[in-house]
Amino acid sequence: MSNTLSYPELADLIQARAGVSITPADLEQPGAHFDDFGVDSLGLLGVVGELENRHGLKVTTGAESAKTPAEFLQLVNSSLSAKAGA
Amino acid sequence: MTSRQQGRRAVVTGLGVVAPNGVGADAFWKATRQGVSVLDRISREGCGGLPLKVAGEVRDFDPQAVIDSRYLVQTDRFTHYAMAAADLAVADARFTPDPEQPYAVGVVTAAGSGGGEFGQRELQQLWGQGPRFVGPYQSIAWFYAASTGQISIRGGYKGPCAVVASDEAGGLDALAHAARSIGRGTDAVVVGAAEAPLAPYSMVCQLGYPELSLAERPEAAYLPFTAQACGFSPAEGGAMLLLEDEQAARRRGATVRAHLAGHGATFTGASRWEESRDGLAAAVRAALDQARIAPEEIDVVFADALGVPAADRAEALALADALGPAAERVPVTAPKTGTGRAYCGAPMLDVAAAVLAMEDGVLPPTPNVTEVCHDLALVTGRARPAELRTALVLSRGLMGSNSALVLRRGERP
Repeated sequence: MSNTLSYPELADLIQARAGVSITPADLEQPGAHFDDFGVDSLGLLGVVGELENRHGLKVTTGAESAKTPAEFLQLVNSSLSAKAGA
Repeated sequence: MTSRQQGRRAVVTGLGVVAPNGVGADAFWKATRQGVSVLDRISREGCGGLPLKVAGEVRDFDPQAVIDSRYLVQTDRFTHYAMAAADLAVADARFTPDPEQPYAVGVVTAAGSGGGEFGQRELQQLWGQGPRFVGPYQSIAWFYAASTGQISIRGGYKGPCAVVASDEAGGLDALAHAARSIGRGTDAVVVGAAEAPLAPYSMVCQLGYPELSLAERPEAAYLPFTAQACGFSPAEGGAMLLLEDEQAARRRGATVRAHLAGHGATFTGASRWEESRDGLAAAVRAALDQARIAPEEIDVVFADALGVPAADRAEALALADALGPAAERVPVTAPKTGTGRAYCGAPMLDVAAAVLAMEDGVLPPTPNVTEVCHDLALVTGRARPAELRTALVLSRGLMGSNSALVLRRGERP
């Protein structure tokens, strides 16, 4: 598994943990917002938990409150790269 | 029922049923009228080794087909049933909520145990892998109020919302609660109960009930009012109704299916069945009082029919106490002997059956029951035609709640 989270991987995780189907392309749209897809903070918390269990690290606190996929990816990937660089 | 605002009366305009003997009011009523028994050996995964063998499973329900994938992940089976029943009720009533009036519609459900199957899965994660592996939706999916919340959020129903946790009789109490909301100014309430108690953890919890039938043969497991009575068989499913203010319903041209005329509720303590006689009789008197009707006006009684000899005796005596001489001739039925008792969903299924029986002019029978050993005019064998204007529905809970509801016929659709 690569050390950065991509839009397709995020789409798969949201499907598995929140039950919401979104295409990677829709997630990547500029201005895309989790609210518009019906993904709530519990859903994102489940995604964060899954990533933490997979990578054995703590994702930046507050990632589950991200409003947009872009913001979420940035928060998660900064946690992953901090670990990789450690 | 009586209301604070003059002239506001609660009427039933839509029925949504998810029952072991049928999904949708039509399938449910057809099976109920025919007296079909669908009690069967429990087939759910992981349930085989338990001493509870017979129950009423909802088998004609494919959650993948009717429930949006997000709710399959985020909610328990009891909420799937409630959401599906709510959709059916709203569609049956041909009700389209006005997006300009989100506070005009409320949601009330009753719940006996919440989401046990979902909870078991997450707790297995907890002790199997650790707290980091418990999904966040556990925080809401197991909860008694989950179904009310999800129906409210998904439908955009922002009016008064509640969950009634008052034991099995809570199904009837939820209707009374909804009727009071209507009396105070809410135009419509999606109300009812559905349960999903057939999963290993939930079943183990029920094994503590001395009233539970552990019989192995489906046709002999749940035989209330007979000398062979050996407890009750549980069931899953339930019903949701659309309850509306009568004037609001008429303004939009809806058919008034039934009037909620009166309700009474009492409490006599867990498993104290002899004492439930007085409690149930008092609930019936209160319901008749509120409906302003005499005992002779009751055309059919949907009995609680627990299947425990002391409880059955108490119910027969309570009817005699509350209805007087009218108790000797009023037809009594218990269609739930063909499906099992879906806890809070059980009296809701009886309410749905009562509305359909009044519309159809038919007394549905009590499946599997033949020889009655109490002084009751129990309808057994086959359905029979009858002019039904007023129905009395009774419900008792294992923890001591007793409730009675009077329904009056609306217009024939």
